[in-house]
Amino acid sequence: MDSPKKIFKNGIWKENPVIVQIIGICSSLAVTNYMMNSLIMGLGLTFVTGLSSFVVSLIRNYTPKHIRMMVQVLIIAAFVIIVDIFLQAYMPEMSKALGPYVGLIITNCIIMGRAEAYAQQNPPLPSLLDGIASGLGYTLILLMISFVRELLGFGTIFGIKVLGDWWTPWTIMVMPPAAFFILAIIIWARNAIEEKEKDKKGEVAKS
Amino acid sequence: MKKSFAYPIIFMIVISAIFTFALAFLNQSTAEKIALNQEIELYRKILYIFNIDVPSEKPEDILETFRNNIGTLPYDDTIMYVHYGDNGEILGYAVPISGSGLWGTIEGYVGISSDYTTILGIDFTKQSETPGLGGRISEESFKEQFRGLDITNVIDGNYIIYKPAPGGNVDAIAGATLTSKSVSKIINEDLHSFLKERVRTDG
Repeated sequence: MDSPKKIFKNGIWKENPVIVQIIGICSSLAVTNYMMNSLIMGLGLTFVTGLSSFVVSLIRNYTPKHIRMMVQVLIIAAFVIIVDIFLQAYMPEMSKALGPYVGLIITNCIIMGRAEAYAQQNPPLPSLLDGIASGLGYTLILLMISFVRELLGFGTIFGIKVLGDWWTPWTIMVMPPAAFFILAIIIWARNAIEEKEKDKKGEVAKS
Repeated sequence: MKKSFAYPIIFMIVISAIFTFALAFLNQSTAEKIALNQEIELYRKILYIFNIDVPSEKPEDILETFRNNIGTLPYDDTIMYVHYGDNGEILGYAVPISGSGLWGTIEGYVGISSDYTTILGIDFTKQSETPGLGGRISEESFKEQFRGLDITNVIDGNYIIYKPAPGGNVDAIAGATLTSKSVSKIINEDLHSFLKERVRTDG
């Protein structure tokens, strides 16, 4: 069994779904105009990924192999609907802001990716942690992108004004293309850091 | 056992039944709350259009204020809301408007005074315009411009004209030309058909 520390390190840094595996891009471009939207979207996805991985893993020994994907989709869909209903009932404002993207969590590759790659082979508890770790990795990247977009596009952070009236909002930051640029910069930075670490390790091994 | 033909089918049926049942239960137990949320949201907007003060943002207060002031009348295939004064006299109408925006349908209500001379206010119940650009039609600074607009001397049904065009009475949203255009088109068309019908039946 993998240690929780390793699972979280993998989900957030080494195999971060958005910037390393480059999956779940669609929603990271779409909902990152406000930090609050990103946070709720990230938490929703973390909830769905964690619990669907848990359930998939729980019944993995009873699931016939050739219909496992059907079963996974069913489980994921059920949890997405739970999130959707919860938002509509208790956070109607947020439900309106996220619009169709909540329903589209179901098509987010991260969830099915984790179910296939991890939960199908591992016991329930590590699967739950693995799902949560991947979800958190996704959430962190979304928050990073939306931090830049909301700050430059609206002059606010979590809806609180931080830049005064002298600030001219950048319209481009409000539009989806801005997320492309920021995401690319984050991927670039991450690769640069990873390369440096690799070099360091290589030198240690040589000497 | 797993090799059998029937096992996957039974497995799928059982697991579908379990999840469907769980979701149906959840849906049932929250349906009322969700319906109430949507109702309150609409009521708040209608009250905003008629510029009626609500004592607080609490759902009960909104509901009570709405029930004390507003009634409904049939209009086309849907309904419009009517603002009644203390003695039951009609103070204004909130007429449903709808049409296509830049990304999707824009729906809302526009308030007209009972003598059909003034726009009382406007609000949108559904819009999916770009957040921060066209989406700003839902912001107070845009909607407040429509309060008290005089529409008695209007030519060709152009009730809303953006400044600085001659006769302009409202500022469009910078950077959201298409959304602004859609909004003025929707208001002008739907208001025109409402007034035409009303003035004919009244006089």
